Amino acid sequence: MTTEPTFRQYAIEEYVVTAEPFYKPVKDEIELFEAAYREKIPVLLKGPTGCGKTRFVEYMAYKLSRPVSVVRAVDGNGQSAEETGRPLVTVACHEDLTASDLVGRYLLEGETTRWVDGPLTRAVKAGAICYLDEIVEARKDTTVLVHPLTDHRRLLPIEKLGQIVEAKDGFVLVISYNPGYQSALKDLKHSTRQRFMSIEFGYPPRDLEANIIGHEAEVDDAVAMDLAKLGEKVRHLKEHGLAEGVSTRLLIYAGKLIHQGITPRRACQVAVIWALTDDRDVQRSIEEVVSSIFE
Amino acid sequence: MTDLRRTLYNQYEELLTPFSTSLSVEFRQAADAVGDRLTDAELKEWAEAGLDLAKQSWRSWEAAGEYYRVTPQVIPMLGTEGFREWARHGRELAEMSSALAASYFRASPSTIPKVGYAHLGDWMGLGRVLYKGTWRSASLAVQFFDASPQLFSKLTLDEVRVLVRFVDTLCDRSYDLASHCLTIAPTSLQPLTGEDRIAFLTFAEALASTGWADARSYLEKGPALLAHIQSAGGGRGRFLDLSRELARREGRQAFTFFAEAARALGQVDSENHGMLLSLAEDLMPLSPLAAMEFLKTAAHVLERIPADTVPEWHAEGMLLLEQSQEGGEAYFRLESSRGEEMLESLSSRIELNKVADILRMYGKALTGAEVAVHSAEALAEKGIGWVETEAPSTEGSAIFLPPFVEEFPDKDDNFRVYKVYCTHQAGHLEFGTFDFEFEREGAIFPTLRLEAEADAASFRAPARGSGPGGEGPLDSDGHVDAPGGSAHPELPGGSAHEPLTDMERFFDLFPDRRLASDLFAIVEDARIDVLISGEYTGIRRPYGERQERELARRPDVSQMPLKQAFVENLVRISLGGTDYVLWPRPLMPFLEEAASVIRTLQHASPESGGSGFRPDAAGEGMGELAAHHSPLTTHTATVEDAAEATLRLYAIADRIPNLFPDASLDWQEIDGENIRVDTMSGGAMGQDMDIDMPQGEQQPYESPPPVDFRGDFKPETVQLLMKLRNQRYDKEQASPISPEQLRQMLEKSVEISIADMAEADLTQSSELFLTNLIKELQQQNQPKEPQPMPMKDGQPVTGMSTGDDEHQLPGEPQYFFYDEWDFRAGDYRPRWCRIVEYAVGEGQAQYFDQTLEKYASLVGQTRRQFELLRPEMFRKIKRLYDGEDIDFDAVIDYTVDRRVGVTPTDKIYWRRNKIERDVSVAFLLDMSASTDEEIAKHEKKYQQDDFDDDPRRYFSWWMARRAQELLTPPKRIIDLEKESMVLLIKALETIGDAYGIYGFSGYGRDNVEFYVVKDLEEAFSDVVKKRIDKIAPVRSTRMGPAIRHAAAKLEAHDSKVRILFLVSDGRPQDHGYGRDRTEKEYAIHDTHQALMEARRKGITPFCLTVDRYGHDYLKTMCEDIGYEVVPDIESLPSRITTLYRQLTA
Repeated sequence: MTTEPTFRQYAIEEYVVTAEPFYKPVKDEIELFEAAYREKIPVLLKGPTGCGKTRFVEYMAYKLSRPVSVVRAVDGNGQSAEETGRPLVTVACHEDLTASDLVGRYLLEGETTRWVDGPLTRAVKAGAICYLDEIVEARKDTTVLVHPLTDHRRLLPIEKLGQIVEAKDGFVLVISYNPGYQSALKDLKHSTRQRFMSIEFGYPPRDLEANIIGHEAEVDDAVAMDLAKLGEKVRHLKEHGLAEGVSTRLLIYAGKLIHQGITPRRACQVAVIWALTDDRDVQRSIEEVVSSIFE
Repeated sequence: MTDLRRTLYNQYEELLTPFSTSLSVEFRQAADAVGDRLTDAELKEWAEAGLDLAKQSWRSWEAAGEYYRVTPQVIPMLGTEGFREWARHGRELAEMSSALAASYFRASPSTIPKVGYAHLGDWMGLGRVLYKGTWRSASLAVQFFDASPQLFSKLTLDEVRVLVRFVDTLCDRSYDLASHCLTIAPTSLQPLTGEDRIAFLTFAEALASTGWADARSYLEKGPALLAHIQSAGGGRGRFLDLSRELARREGRQAFTFFAEAARALGQVDSENHGMLLSLAEDLMPLSPLAAMEFLKTAAHVLERIPADTVPEWHAEGMLLLEQSQEGGEAYFRLESSRGEEMLESLSSRIELNKVADILRMYGKALTGAEVAVHSAEALAEKGIGWVETEAPSTEGSAIFLPPFVEEFPDKDDNFRVYKVYCTHQAGHLEFGTFDFEFEREGAIFPTLRLEAEADAASFRAPARGSGPGGEGPLDSDGHVDAPGGSAHPELPGGSAHEPLTDMERFFDLFPDRRLASDLFAIVEDARIDVLISGEYTGIRRPYGERQERELARRPDVSQMPLKQAFVENLVRISLGGTDYVLWPRPLMPFLEEAASVIRTLQHASPESGGSGFRPDAAGEGMGELAAHHSPLTTHTATVEDAAEATLRLYAIADRIPNLFPDASLDWQEIDGENIRVDTMSGGAMGQDMDIDMPQGEQQPYESPPPVDFRGDFKPETVQLLMKLRNQRYDKEQASPISPEQLRQMLEKSVEISIADMAEADLTQSSELFLTNLIKELQQQNQPKEPQPMPMKDGQPVTGMSTGDDEHQLPGEPQYFFYDEWDFRAGDYRPRWCRIVEYAVGEGQAQYFDQTLEKYASLVGQTRRQFELLRPEMFRKIKRLYDGEDIDFDAVIDYTVDRRVGVTPTDKIYWRRNKIERDVSVAFLLDMSASTDEEIAKHEKKYQQDDFDDDPRRYFSWWMARRAQELLTPPKRIIDLEKESMVLLIKALETIGDAYGIYGFSGYGRDNVEFYVVKDLEEAFSDVVKKRIDKIAPVRSTRMGPAIRHAAAKLEAHDSKVRILFLVSDGRPQDHGYGRDRTEKEYAIHDTHQALMEARRKGITPFCLTVDRYGHDYLKTMCEDIGYEVVPDIESLPSRITTLYRQLTA
């Protein structure tokens, strides 16, 4: 490599959250997660899309790497990851995610093959927080794979290599799951569910959400409050025209657009209404709510 | 008298006597009268003419008699010359018929002055026209002459001429009719003006030659009908010309069109008549039918669009008419989608049923509760206390709005009116108006209610009949028409029951319940308005506009009795209209005190102040409001605070006498400075104010006119309804409400005035009210199954309950509306067919099992075949360019190939493929009456061949067959359909496809019956088995709407493959499904269109018919669509399963 890359690139197990992500706890989820982490209990995060699950994991990865890195450094184990913090390995699960995508696979190289570890294996080896986002999207045979990692064994068998990897201290598996929108077919298996402690996420209450929007989108309190109000009203429509309520993320987007000088009604239209539904009648109804709240 | 004369007289007397003695007497008398005026020669000529007449035929002496008799009168009118001509006409007539001549002479004296000498011949000619040589025609002609004096006294000669032509035309059909028309003509034409008569009669003539049977009704009713039309500008004449043109060109039903169009025009503002007629005249050359349709629907069209846009509406239709006659006519008949769209785009009116869904979701979003939106008419129809059909309201679970809004020329503005209505009503639900609890503290005012209740209790018993403050009981409110004449709210105090609701308990505090109710409505509505303004910034502007509008139309306060003026002023203050207040200066402290109470309540709300809506409202401006934004720091006023405010306001109002103000009083505006925000204000209730009250005779108190956007507010009734509702859900409730309790409450309440609801006697009405109330609650309590009904094409009717489930049969039918394709007009007829969806009744479940037994072998066979269809969940697919992992066998081959020097293949990956079978199918069975047909007939023939000429064998066969028939009745097409379904169900259950089974039939477009045997979502159960047994032939076959409905159901079902399987026994047929019963094209085209629509929705339609002649029409009906004619009906069950397999494999 002679040219200087213009982007930053990390090895998967070297990605560490260094800047403190903004996170406002709704209840006691931070303490719960910390307790679970210390006790090596895997965690399941339940909640609708865009309510802050991923942000929460990032925040926890940041928070947990602070004291831990110090302690470990004294221990003298000497690995780079530990000096910089607790790595966070995120895998977005999808329908075609197979076991080998997670564990690793052989690649052809000339006339021989070479084994490449998958992200899960790498996280296990590095002692990272491994976050499997939207786990139910993955195929059932894939989800079973994590079972040995989630109980007292903390092992990852690699069938094709004939190896078993023991999870390094600090490794924890976090999965997320949105109970709302998946069909009954895509429910999480009980044998999988019951291996996790689960923290339920809902949308934050109006004032807190306003606070979050205000911070993230850098809009004034009144606008943030109105957006939070809109969120609350639109969520009333869940199951009545809408499959999902509006996420905090979308409200923040709307806020950001407003911050950039887009009129509130237009911002809500593009960031909230059109993002939520294609049904004309429902769009119109939400538009009416928007025009009631915003001038 | 000369001798000569005498001889002459005697001579003629002798000559005439043989005919009749009376004739000679007539002669003599006439001769004596006219003799002086005639010369001898003339006299002789005259006498001779009479004799000639008498001689002419056997009875012509009668004519001669008349001739002589009228001579003395006629001669002075005509002179001798004229007389000669007159007599000659008579003779001509006599040559045809002496009766004719006689009547001619007889009528002459009174007719001639009206007709005039010059037209004598014309008159005679008219009579002669009517005479055709038959006795009937003669009598008609006689009738004409006899009626002539009357006719000509009313009509001009020209008019009579047309009338005669008309009557003459009628003669071809019926003399009775002709004669009748002739009789009534003068009277019925009377009301018409001269110029209209000709037109009227010309149309009559046209009618007579086409729709002659209508002629009589026309003559009788026509003038009255015509009176609907503006006469100025020749409107009637033009209208008649149009009608005549229609009669001439189209013939049929001209009178019906005439009558309907005239009536329709009668409903239109007469100044528009001229415009409408001109537009109709433009259409006439293209299609007279369209012109009349245009007039017929004009009233309806004008209801929807403003008059100045009618030409635009007309132009569009005219364009269409030029392209297609049928299409244009359908447009003007309002039977085409294009017309509907055009009206919609021209109209500024917003109809509730078009926006109900949006408002429903809007309300749901605001309140978070399930809020239905219905027309206020629906609420009034329920008969549970609401009578207004225009005012918005709520009964606690739904929002009721006026059926349409047409206040502004702009659609958006009108929609905003709806929105404000809806927001206010939703506000009552969102901000807990009906959650009022008597004993709960308010957030701002100290609670006085409990104290007041104790006071009232001790006060009521001894001081019955004299209210506080020395005021008489307000017995005069006149609105509580309670049975038993107890109009005094406080009188039933003795037998007082426990109040049913907290609201009732609250209102019990006040001797004048109406006043209290009005005050509570004012403060509670004010509270809601302010809260809405705080919560919803964006709606402030339209809301403020409504308030402004309302303030502008409030009545003049200075004309009201004082107490009413006081309440009216409070309404204004609550609307933020402090600047609209007018009140006598001496009494100003009262109003200031009251205004402070309201202001305090408003201020205690987030973003409070004034009305919060009107930027110019006294005191507060919009900018300031936004700055106040700190919802967490202020207390929010609750409904209990509104109640407290009511107590305080009542105390003040109670001191103000309701009398007409003295003219000397100085009215002034309120000074905004004196309105304070003080939670204790009004605590003293104005009692410490030392102000001289005007004295005088008090007026009965009347409520201020309602504020339109706030609508009908009935908190007491709503709380009652809510309580009853909860009671139903919660069966444990200890004390159910007795009808007696209800009645007492009803009698007390001022919210419901039974008298308004029904005109029947009061006891009965209150019974009715109770029944309605209970019925309403029962309806609401039916478990509402959230059925994901397709909404796109068939909108469920607003106001229809969807409550039906399989435990309750026959369930409440659901209605859906669908368009129908008119292939002639090339357009849809909007909302043309009404589908009524029923669940099929339940029969015996054994039928299902018996059928399975009967077809045991076929069942096994199809089941095996279907099992083959079962998807293999994961199949490994090898040799791919990319995949899950490397296939090592392929890698080895690859390596080997490379070593050997052959170009290796890169397909070295494998992947597991998940094959999901995702099929849903709707079977649509023809349940028309024709499926009742036996199918045994077909087989008889070849079986007969077996026993040649052996009678014994034949006999035994026949016996066997009879026995068989008795045992199992002959099989019908429907039976085979049923059996096919049984087999299919068995097969489908093995592969797990989602399937629905439906039947359809019906009669006419309003009643297309759609039977559900098994819905798509429904699980197979015993109920379904039982329903299959009940499938039976019903009536006609209107396929189009049934297909559309089934397609809508499939569309709502999310599957990769969706199939609509139609099983029928013949072509589509129904009443009105085509021009007449024998026309096939219309029905076939509509069905084809429906199938194509389904296909556009991604549904695969397939038609199966057992009609052997099906090939003819199926080719058109199923163009580009799969179909099959099953030649051998008996093979239907096996064929259906095979086809299904092929379709989905």
